[in-house]
Amino acid sequence: MSPAELVARLEAAGAVVPAPFEHAVGGMQEWRWVGPAHLVAAAQAARDGGYFLESMTCIDRLAAHQSFELLYTFNRYAPASRVAVRALVRQTDAVPSLSGVFPIAAWNEREAWEFFGVTFSGHPNLTWLLLPEDTTFQPLLKSFTAPPPSIYDDSMNPAPPAPEPAAKHE
Amino acid sequence: MIDRTADTSPLDTYTLNMGPQHPSTHGVLRLKLTLRGERILAVDPVIGYGHRAHEKMAENRTYAQFFPNTSRQDYLSGLIYNVAWAEAVEKMANIAVPERALVARVILSEFNRITSHLLWVGAFLMDLGAATPFLYVFDEREAILGLLETVTGSRLTYATARFGGLSRDLDDDFPRRARAVLARLEGRWSEWEDLIEGNVIFLQRSQGIGTMTEAQCRAWGVTGPVLRASGVAYDIRKAEPYGAYPRFEFDIPTRPECDAYARYLVRIAEMKQSVRIIEQALDALPAGPILTEGSIGVKKRLKPPAGTFYHNVESARGAYGIVIVSEGGTEPWRAKFRTPSYANLAAMQDIMCNTMVADAVATLGSIDVVIPEIDR
Repeated sequence: MSPAELVARLEAAGAVVPAPFEHAVGGMQEWRWVGPAHLVAAAQAARDGGYFLESMTCIDRLAAHQSFELLYTFNRYAPASRVAVRALVRQTDAVPSLSGVFPIAAWNEREAWEFFGVTFSGHPNLTWLLLPEDTTFQPLLKSFTAPPPSIYDDSMNPAPPAPEPAAKHE
Repeated sequence: MIDRTADTSPLDTYTLNMGPQHPSTHGVLRLKLTLRGERILAVDPVIGYGHRAHEKMAENRTYAQFFPNTSRQDYLSGLIYNVAWAEAVEKMANIAVPERALVARVILSEFNRITSHLLWVGAFLMDLGAATPFLYVFDEREAILGLLETVTGSRLTYATARFGGLSRDLDDDFPRRARAVLARLEGRWSEWEDLIEGNVIFLQRSQGIGTMTEAQCRAWGVTGPVLRASGVAYDIRKAEPYGAYPRFEFDIPTRPECDAYARYLVRIAEMKQSVRIIEQALDALPAGPILTEGSIGVKKRLKPPAGTFYHNVESARGAYGIVIVSEGGTEPWRAKFRTPSYANLAAMQDIMCNTMVADAVATLGSIDVVIPEIDR
């Protein structure tokens, strides 16, 4: 299925939405904005067309649009062609998980969850992947600018005891 | 071998930690293996021990300041990653690259690919218990790293690429030295074939081990030599040509067997193809500048136009994708690195199931993962 055919299938299924903002794109043969509810169907169409899930990127657009942009790129072996599916999801909305369509998406979604706080519904194991298991912050948010507290930071540790006076040599 | 898959006796499962301190996980990786007897039922890779926040760093540095980070992602394909960052930004900002630099980048990248595969051969054989090939391949690696040091200043992590070319030119004696290194390498293929491929223990430990079908590769997004050893001729240098690669003739070696032995054969064949590319490139190396006149980026801050850009290159491990989202400022708004080892390791959750724990090391070694590029 060529990129144009895949895009036509998405449009026929009513998955495509108008672009929420103008943004130039390079390196992709086709790209469309898709409603989050149609992401699973779009991924299934890509899989049926012989594409694999190449990458998934989450982009912080909270300041301008109070949403995250999810950029999925699909590619295929021959002839290689990249189709990008972009979805704008509000910060509090859950996104349907693609892990049932492409197993690699389970890891991509865990990464988006731990770095941005995006929740994915239907995910088998939405937990930390790269960050420590008790992390309380989302590092890739633009609002995260301060370094996390550390045991090497003196403010977290109690004051050291006063040093013992040097023993007198006999 | 007694097949116990149909055994329904109430044997408990046993969780075995492979790593994070382990000589064969090639980095800091923890694999939680759930075993029943010696059969692996499930694999849970625990990663992130080497997470250094490269993507956050990219948002807080100018495009040129990010060059040192590029090699640290995959330190074995450091030059390829360095050049890829330069190429991605050049595409975004429409910066021209002189002919000499395009050809020089191909020469250096292919030497880098050879050093990466050489190290893999040594490490894979070492994982299987053969210590000798490691020193043999490192001898060749030394020759190449020394050559690369004379023209870039670095042996492992490079900061040689600039927006619009390379920071240092190849000197006039470089083609002679490079051909001498290639001649040395040429004499080694048959030596290694006798040493390694004729060894019955190696064959028994790699043939039929770690099988990954094309459908599994497609489901997990596996690329690189692993995919080519499963019969798919997908190489970014031919699929999405970049730089000076379209000018050179080379084949994409594939194998149909889909196992660890096939991956070994594919990497050996790829090294020979890289030699072929370098020979053609050395013949075709034009005179001229190595860096575009007035190239900015290091002294004056580059402000590429706003937009989302994807650049894809073939690293030694597979498809390396750089997604840069620019808002027109001096720093990227978002930079995402689609690294090949990420998908290749994730596929282990499927591939290692229902195999014997004794083959776990061979399976993991055959896919050639570099953990820092997974953790970034």
